[in-house]
Amino acid sequence: MTDEPLHPTPTENEETMSDRAAIRTAYIDHLLDHGHPPASVHAFAKHLNISERAFFEHFASFETLEGSIWADLVDDVAHAVTTGDEWQHFTAREQMLAFFYAFTENILDHRSFFLERFPRPSSGSATSRTGLRATAKLRHRFREFAHPVLDAGIASGELKQRGPIGDRYPRILTTLFLSVIHYNLTDESEGFARTDAFIEKSTHLAFDLMGAGVVDSALDLARFLSGHLRHT
Amino acid sequence: MQDSIRSRRLSRAASLAGTGTRVGVNYLKHYGKKALTGKSDETALHEANATEVYGTFAKLKGGPLKLAQMLSIDKNMLPEAYRSQFAQAQYSAPPLSYPLVARTFRREFGKEPSELFDTFTREAACGASIGQVHKATKDGKTYAVKVQYPGVAESLTSDLALVKPFALQVLGLREADVAPYFAEVQERLLEETDYKTELANSQKLSKSSGEIPGVRFPTYIPELSSSKILTMTWEPGVPLDQFTAAHEGAEHQELRNRIGQALWDFYHHQIHDLRIFHADPHPGNFLVDEDGILTVLDFGCTKAVGDPFYSDYFKLLSPGFLSDREAFADALIKLDILQPSDPARSREVIIENAHRGTSLLARPFHQSPFDFGDPSYMEAIVELGESGRKDRELKEIKTARGSADSIYLNRAYFGLYSLMAALQAKVKTVLPEPAA
Repeated sequence: MTDEPLHPTPTENEETMSDRAAIRTAYIDHLLDHGHPPASVHAFAKHLNISERAFFEHFASFETLEGSIWADLVDDVAHAVTTGDEWQHFTAREQMLAFFYAFTENILDHRSFFLERFPRPSSGSATSRTGLRATAKLRHRFREFAHPVLDAGIASGELKQRGPIGDRYPRILTTLFLSVIHYNLTDESEGFARTDAFIEKSTHLAFDLMGAGVVDSALDLARFLSGHLRHT
Repeated sequence: MQDSIRSRRLSRAASLAGTGTRVGVNYLKHYGKKALTGKSDETALHEANATEVYGTFAKLKGGPLKLAQMLSIDKNMLPEAYRSQFAQAQYSAPPLSYPLVARTFRREFGKEPSELFDTFTREAACGASIGQVHKATKDGKTYAVKVQYPGVAESLTSDLALVKPFALQVLGLREADVAPYFAEVQERLLEETDYKTELANSQKLSKSSGEIPGVRFPTYIPELSSSKILTMTWEPGVPLDQFTAAHEGAEHQELRNRIGQALWDFYHHQIHDLRIFHADPHPGNFLVDEDGILTVLDFGCTKAVGDPFYSDYFKLLSPGFLSDREAFADALIKLDILQPSDPARSREVIIENAHRGTSLLARPFHQSPFDFGDPSYMEAIVELGESGRKDRELKEIKTARGSADSIYLNRAYFGLYSLMAALQAKVKTVLPEPAA
């Protein structure tokens, strides 16, 4: 993880990069200070002392702006873990665990932003449509990260390809990812230690289910019994 | 089911000091079984059951594991229902994944294990009750690195609360009677979750016990330790139970005596000189190397013995004391084994039982050298536990007896006796001061 996790894509030149980063930082500030996005791009640009055109050069809307933040949150963590020394030696399970631990560590730097977009059910504040659509980017990027991990797991035999059920693996992991975020945001234990335990246990369960074993035996039995019933 | 639970209800007043004795008897059954001769089919069955139960509990982690160890690991003590309850609760957690170990390192030291050590095993070398141990090397030295399970401290209280109603039901006790025990267990366990306490205990105890011949301690590395990670030098040797299993013959008697003497002296020094002792005499906590040197591990659970408990407890060992029934009864009241409100009949049974227990337990102190290899002694102790459990009168007494302090002291002594029995060691003993 870098100290500036929301770094822009490397294709842009330095000046526009800093503009882009500055716009995003200002957006998050506004969102967290006021509890909602700016009223309009016009108002926001005026506040930043830039032209609307300058804003639209970088982002088509607040939604794409926020989406880019979420995408970078995932990409930065994915980049940090996949370039680690030990990544290549990890099993799919360990790779996923490493990602979750790094990601929850990263949440510490952006906790308010996460709380704004993943509000507690009891708080009564509903996430705006902008927020919901923006976090779709988070899920999307996570699935992109999870795909090769799962593929490698299937190739090595660690995970079992089960036709239509197997196709749902990325979705299972995405659900797990979101539940880890939710768990972490409501965790009140010292040093968020319970989140670590939650990650450990839930990831083990997910990979146990995706691995060969219980599920196949259960399906096998179910098939056998249904056949048996038909014969009698 | 209800009936079988009820029929196995235990009296907590069975002998010298309730829980500790029973725990000790079970320790004896497990680790001292080699010392028992003439195994009937029934004994063999008991052993098989006990081993099986122990196997289940050995997989438990955290609070319930410790509690189970304390409440005993015997089938009679923890009936089937209790055991399956634990199994269902899914306490047999898998080992920590390496990414979590690495993350704990980053949290505690800001560095990966690979940055702090030259090598670091990805898989745990062995488990511990609230953590696991990895083997690491640095600058040619080998280290044992203990990493704590995350959230153990947090879940301890809730784990114990979960187990409590069940323990009450199975043992047929009233909440008020066991409250001090639970409080004691919880306090010690919370202490264990801070490895800094263990580090301090280890350094203090190993320093003040450094003079005892044949006993060695790992060197702890404070720079590589924190509240969740504890680093010490990796000591050579095999666990004591493995060692005794491999050195049973008469030709090893001298070696076993030496190890037994070192162990005995170590405990004597702690309890009677330092008044603070290593309260977990589990064979896995002692290593024996090729030269028969004993290494003491795991100072997570230490207990201080304060006055007046210390004097009251050890006064029971005075040679003449056991023949003075009135004085003995008074001492039992001080130790909360006998309560003034007990009806006359119960009173007689309790005194009688405590008397038998105490004279048995005091025997090694009265005969020096004492031969723990004498099978009749171990049989007598096991028999005492069994008779206490079967006695109708004692079963009627449903309140927990013995002060909480005695839990740990009894556990230490019975654990020690069982280790000595496994070693079949002949050792020199001296009476502690209050009894002398």
